[in-house]
Order: sequence, then C-alpha cells, then structure tokens
Amino acid sequence: MRRTHAQERGLYPKMRVRDQLDYFARLHGLPAQEASSAADHWIERLGVAERANDRVEQLSLGNQQRVQLAAALVHNPEVLVLDEPFSGLDPVGVDVLAEVLADRAADGIPVIFSSHQLELVERLCEAVAIINHGRLVAAGPVEELRHTGGERRWQVEVADASAGWASGLEGVTVLEKHNGRVVLAVEGDEQRVLEAARAAGRVTLFSAVQPSLAQLFRQAVQA
Amino acid sequence: MSDLRTFDGIKLTAGREVVERTRRDKSFLISTLVTLGILCAIIFLPKLFGADDPKEFDVGLVGAASQPLGPALTAQGEAVDIRINTSQPASAAEAEAAVRDGSLDLAVIDGRELVAKAEVDEQLNLMVQAASRAARAQRTLQAAGVPPDEIQTALAPPPLPTRSLEPVDEDAQSKRTIATVAVFLLYGQLIGYCFTVAMGVVEEKSTRVVEVLLAAVRPVQLLAGKIIGIGLVGLFQLVIIGVVGLVLATASGAITLPPDSAGTIGSVLLWFLLGYAFYSSMFAVAGAIVSRQEELQKTATPLNLLMVASFFVAFSTSIGGADSTLAKVSTFPRSPR
Repeated sequence: MRRTHAQERGLYPKMRVRDQLDYFARLHGLPAQEASSAADHWIERLGVAERANDRVEQLSLGNQQRVQLAAALVHNPEVLVLDEPFSGLDPVGVDVLAEVLADRAADGIPVIFSSHQLELVERLCEAVAIINHGRLVAAGPVEELRHTGGERRWQVEVADASAGWASGLEGVTVLEKHNGRVVLAVEGDEQRVLEAARAAGRVTLFSAVQPSLAQLFRQAVQA
Repeated sequence: MSDLRTFDGIKLTAGREVVERTRRDKSFLISTLVTLGILCAIIFLPKLFGADDPKEFDVGLVGAASQPLGPALTAQGEAVDIRINTSQPASAAEAEAAVRDGSLDLAVIDGRELVAKAEVDEQLNLMVQAASRAARAQRTLQAAGVPPDEIQTALAPPPLPTRSLEPVDEDAQSKRTIATVAVFLLYGQLIGYCFTVAMGVVEEKSTRVVEVLLAAVRPVQLLAGKIIGIGLVGLFQLVIIGVVGLVLATASGAITLPPDSAGTIGSVLLWFLLGYAFYSSMFAVAGAIVSRQEELQKTATPLNLLMVASFFVAFSTSIGGADSTLAKVSTFPRSPR
C-alpha cells in the first residue's frame, strides 16, 4: 500500500477548498457556472461544507482526503479509478464515500478502486480481482469466485457421532472441526454427505456456507 | 474529458496565479507596502537630514592683514551657492579656541596661516587659498606702484565664455536618478518574481498537484499560465511602486520629471517584460529539475549569480553614465547621459 503523505495529496496546500475544486472543474472544461455549482455540490456531499473557505493545509487528514475525493469527482469523470479511497477515512466518511461510489456506478459510470477493507468490497462491488505480489491470482464476479471449481461448502452438525465420521468420504475435505460441528468442502452431490451424516448420528444442522471474500482472498493467496 | 483550448488553459492557470498571489495572499500587500516604505525613506530621509541645505562655513579673520579676504570669500561663496560667514576674533588664541570647539571651520591668522581642527574641507580650502593669493598679489602690485584700476584688470579678468557643441542636458541628474532607482526596482522585481515561478513549479511537483493538472492541461499551458500569471502580479506591483515613487519624488522636489520621461518609464517596463520572460523561464527550469523546495537553492544559485552580475553592470552604468565602454556595449536602445 502506498502511503499518501499529507503534502502529496494532489492538492495545493495553500489554496482554499472551494477555490481549488472550482479551479479543477474549470480546468476540465466545465463552464464557470457549472464548475462553481459542481464544487459546491461535492463539498456538501462529502461533508466538508464547513471548511469550504479554509486552506487545505488547515484541514485534518481525513478532511483533506474528502477534498481529494471531491477533486476526483468534481468534473464528472466518465470513469473513476481510485487507489485506496477508503483508507484513512472515519466510519462516517466510509459510509458517505460508499454511497457516492454506488450512486456513480448506478449512473452507469465504471468505478474501479483498490482496497484492503474486504467486507466493504464485498458489500459494494460486483466484481473483484485479487492481486498478490503484483500478480492477478483471482478475478471475476464475487458470486462466481465463491463457487470456483464446482466446490461448495457445507456446515454440518451431527449429535452423538464419532469424531471422524466425515473423513474418508469421497470428494469431501474437512476444512474446520469445532465442537462436533464441521465445515466441509464438497465436490458434486451433497446429498450423499447428508446420508452419511444421518447414518453417523442425529443431524441437527446442515447448511450451505458462503465463503467471505476474506476467506477467498486467503485461499487464493495461499494457493 | 473535454480538451481545453490552449488559450483557455493558459488563461485559467494564469488567473489562478493572479488571484492566489494577490487577493488570497497577504504577503503581496505587505511586500508592496514595505517597498513603498523603503522608497519613501530614500526620497525623504536626505531632506530630513538636511542634505539639500546649502553648505555653510564660518571663517575667522584675525589681524588686519586677514581682513581683505572677507569680501572676496563671500563673493566666491555666493558664486557656487556656499554661504561663508566671516568674523573677527580678537586674537589668534581666541580664534584657535573657536576652531577647536567647532564654532569656526577655519581661522586665517594675520593673512599668513590657516588654522583648522583637523582636515580642511577641500572646497573651503581652495576658496581661502585663492582669496589669499589674490590679496597677496594685490599688495605686491600696489607696492610696485601699479595703478589700482590696472591691478583690478590684472587680478579679476572677466571669465572666459563657454560654447557647448551640444545642447546641455539640464535633466541629466534627474534621468540618472530615475535610471538608478529603476535598476534597483527591476532587480528586486525580477529576482523576487522569478524565484516565485521556481517555487511554484516545485510546489506543484512536491504536492503531486501536477499529476492532477496534467490530466487536464498540457505542460506548455501550465508553464505559460504560471509565468504569465506571476508576471502580471510582478508588473502590477512594479507599476504601483513606480507611480507612487514618481509622484512622491516629483512632489517632494527630489527629481524633476524630464519632458521625455515617458520613454524612460516605457523602457523600464519593456526591460521588465524581456528580463522576466528570460529569467522566469530559466527559473522554471531550475524548479523543474528538483523535486523538493530544499533542493531549489542548488539549481537556482547560478541564475542568481547571473542576475547579480547583470545588476552590477546596469547599476554602474546608471551611476557612471554612458561614456564607458561597458556602458556602450551593454545599453540599448539608448542610455541616460
């Protein structure tokens, strides 16, 4: 992750927030009137309206980042590519930005961003790409990644069963074992696993497990 | 992304520089006021310290033999705007005491000796010596029996008439003053605003703003806008300082504006534009080849030296007049005499 220094924000430290956004919008060809209202719109939307007439260097790091995002958005770009836009934002800022990005995407604008906050990515994104040490290790819609290789996960709880009831079943890998509950990776038909479980004891739980993006990430990186 | 036309890009970036460096930055107002203050001091301080008052000397004439010098000295002084007050101390000792305590600048003892505290003022010395020479010559001629009117003709012949081949430039002093002050102002404005250009370039690099800007404008637009914008600010300040300075100096009588001063003032502005165009581009390069402001000093130093050297050439020319070879090869289109 590239740490962005306070001085390296791509903003003029001594310029006032509104002036700066207005300037960037006009540089991108917006007419004066539109540039000014776009600047005001994004200042409002990203919650820095109170600081609109302050110099950027006088703002907290979090607010500087909001201004930086406003600068990226102010000229209505056709594509948004953001590097770690959420890092350094407080939870409220994260919510605001997530909403903004979802809106942009809903308007048909492709939004690409990098992040280490995988729950957020899972919530927001349609497709992900996992990059490890500069190499693409997995890519595709989140739903698809969850079912790579036709393998699905099941969580099974069997009362009064012997500990190793699941091991030795064909096409089944035991991923976790905890207090009589196991998580199994099953290739193909899961019904035979259910039958084996019932033969072993009283089945109290049998449910499909959606692997989280974090798990997929670990799996992809380890592979 | 819409492509900005070249002119629009330059106009926007130049506009930003002008607004940010005048309305949004107090240091512009402060530096203008400080420069005006210094200019006022240059104009008014000499008056305050009496540098403009006519020179005045007190001379004591001791003994009868010294007395003929009195009228001659007063007349000579008047001719060159120097007032010479004569007095008659009773004795040589009294005169010496008066010289020692400063109430007399010079004492003439019996027409034979001059007494001064330390070094005699050169002008006063020349006048007293001349008066004494004349008095002694008169005595000798009288002793030789020459008639008084012939002595008069011999000792005080009418001065030779002078014929100038070219018209005398009575405004030469004012022109020289204007040129000298203009050289100072140009140097100050150029070094200040060219360095601002270099700082501006480094600022955009070190804050990575340039990465954002170059997505929207071409480098040449950015550079041209920066140079033009900062140049306008510098020119604006130069004009304010120039106008206020000229008005004050004329009102106070420090200079009288020569009738063709519009040409002089115009050439100052022209040289600002030319000098600024050259040096600001060079300083922009100095800014572009470093990535942090701390490193700027290294690349800007050769340019500073070049500027200081040019300043000294211009300064010595404006002080010394246009007759030296240096002045002849370094001035264009014309130089104050």
